[in-house]
Amino acid sequence: MIVTPPILARLALVVFLAVILQLAFFSQIPLLGSVANLVPVVIVALGLLGGAVTGAVAGFAAGLLIDVMIGGTLGVASLSLLSAGYLAGRWREGYDIVSSLVPPLLTGALCGVAAAAYGVLQLTLGIDAEVSALAIREIVVQALLGMLLAVPFYPLIRRVLRPALVEDTDRGRPRISPDLLGRGMRFSGLHTSRSAR
Amino acid sequence: MYRKQVRRRRAILVLLVVACLMLISISISEAESGPLQSIQNGVSSVLSPVQEGADRALKPFRDMIGWFDETIDARGENDELRSEVAALQQENLDLQGAAEEAGYLKTLEKLVATSGLDGYERVNASVLGRGFSVWYSTIVIDAGSSDGIEKDDAVVTADGLVGRVSEVTGGTAKVALITQGSSAVTARVAGEGPIGLVVPIIGAPGELDFTLIQGDKEVEDGDELITAGFSSDGLEARFPSDIPIGKVSEAIPAEQEQRQQVSVEPFADLADLDALTVLTSGGGTVE
Repeated sequence: MIVTPPILARLALVVFLAVILQLAFFSQIPLLGSVANLVPVVIVALGLLGGAVTGAVAGFAAGLLIDVMIGGTLGVASLSLLSAGYLAGRWREGYDIVSSLVPPLLTGALCGVAAAAYGVLQLTLGIDAEVSALAIREIVVQALLGMLLAVPFYPLIRRVLRPALVEDTDRGRPRISPDLLGRGMRFSGLHTSRSAR
Repeated sequence: MYRKQVRRRRAILVLLVVACLMLISISISEAESGPLQSIQNGVSSVLSPVQEGADRALKPFRDMIGWFDETIDARGENDELRSEVAALQQENLDLQGAAEEAGYLKTLEKLVATSGLDGYERVNASVLGRGFSVWYSTIVIDAGSSDGIEKDDAVVTADGLVGRVSEVTGGTAKVALITQGSSAVTARVAGEGPIGLVVPIIGAPGELDFTLIQGDKEVEDGDELITAGFSSDGLEARFPSDIPIGKVSEAIPAEQEQRQQVSVEPFADLADLDALTVLTSGGGTVE
C-alpha cells in the first residue's frame, strides 16, 4: 500500500467510522447470544490490504478510540486489536490471497484471536468474578460473526483504499507486451502478477 | 532493503506494544482524577455529540432489525407463551391467596414505606452506545453531570437494577453494568431473607452469582433478590436499598456443595437496554 496523506485520511476515517458504527449500531443488536464486532473485521481488512505496519497501527488507534469512548482500561483493546492487524499483515506479506474465501476465513480466525487476547488481558489484569466456560462460546461466536461481516466489508474497504493498492492501480491498464519490455523499456517496480488478490 | 523494512516493522511493533503496556499500567495505577483519566474524559466529551448523532441516525435501522427479530421470536414463542400465560394466571391466583394469608402485602407496604428511593431524583436517559465484550460490560447514556448525574449513581430500568455510573462528562455518562467483571452488589432475599453479594459470571451475561451468603437460611428457587443498601463502619453501599435485582433461577443446597450455589437471573434485560433511569441524590446526601 502506498500511504499518502489523502490515503492516511481515508484510513483514519475508516477506523473512526468502524468504531462509531460498532458502538452505536452493532453493539446494540444481540446476535447468537453475543454481538457482532465490526472493529477487528476492519482492522484485519486493513492488515490484509496494507501490510503488518498498517494493520498494527490501525489496530492500536482503533483500540485507543474504543477504550476512550466506552471508558475501558486504556491499552487493553489496543493490544488485542494491534495483534490481529499485525498478524493479518504478516499473512498478507507471506502468502497470496488465492481465493475469495481467504479474507472471510482469515478474518473469522483473527477475530477469534482478538477476542481471546482481550479475554486473556482482562484476566491478567485481575477479574474477581467467576469465568464461565461460556466465555469460549463467546470467542467462537465472535469468530463466526466476524467471518460473516468480512463478506461485505472486506470488498468495501478494498474499494475505499483502491487508489493506494499497488495491484489494483495496475488493474485495467493495457498490458505491456513482452516485446516492448525486451527492447529495454523500463518498467519500474510494481507487481505485474494477476493473481486473484 | 528488505532487512531495513523488517527492522522498521519490528521497531514499530515493539513501540506500539510498549505504548499499550504503558497505557495499561498508567491507567490502572493513576488516581481517578489523574491526567490520563482527564484526557480520556475530555476526548470522550468531544466525541459524544458524534456518537449521539450516529445513534439517532442508526436508530431506524436498529428498530427494523429488532422488528424482524421480534416477529420471528414471537411466532416461535406464541404457542409456548399461551400455555405459559394460563399456568401463570393460575399461579398468580394461588400466590395472591398465599400472600394475603401470610400477610405478605403488609410486609410489602412496609418495604415501600421504608424504601430510601423516595429521596432520590430520577433522570431518564437513553443508551447511546455500548461495549461489545463479555469482559467489559459498559454502556454510554445521553445524560451527564449537566443533568445532575454523579459518579456511582445507581441506574435502573422499570424491571430492576442495571448498574452504576462509572464515569461522567457534561452530556454523557458511562454505566458499568452489574454483569461487568468488577461489579459486586450487596443484596438480600426479599422479605426476611439472608444477605449476600451478587457478582457476575464472566461469559454468561444473563446470569449472576449470589455468593458470600450470611446466615443459616437457605435460598430457594424463585426467591427474589433486592439491593441490601446497608452501611457499616463508615462504609456506604453503592446502591440504595430495595431495588429489585433478579430472581433465583437455581439454588443448589449447601449439603451437596461446600457452600450454597445460587444462580440469579437479572430482572432487567441487560442485553437489550434502551431507556433507563439514573437515581441521583440531586446534589444532596440521601440516607
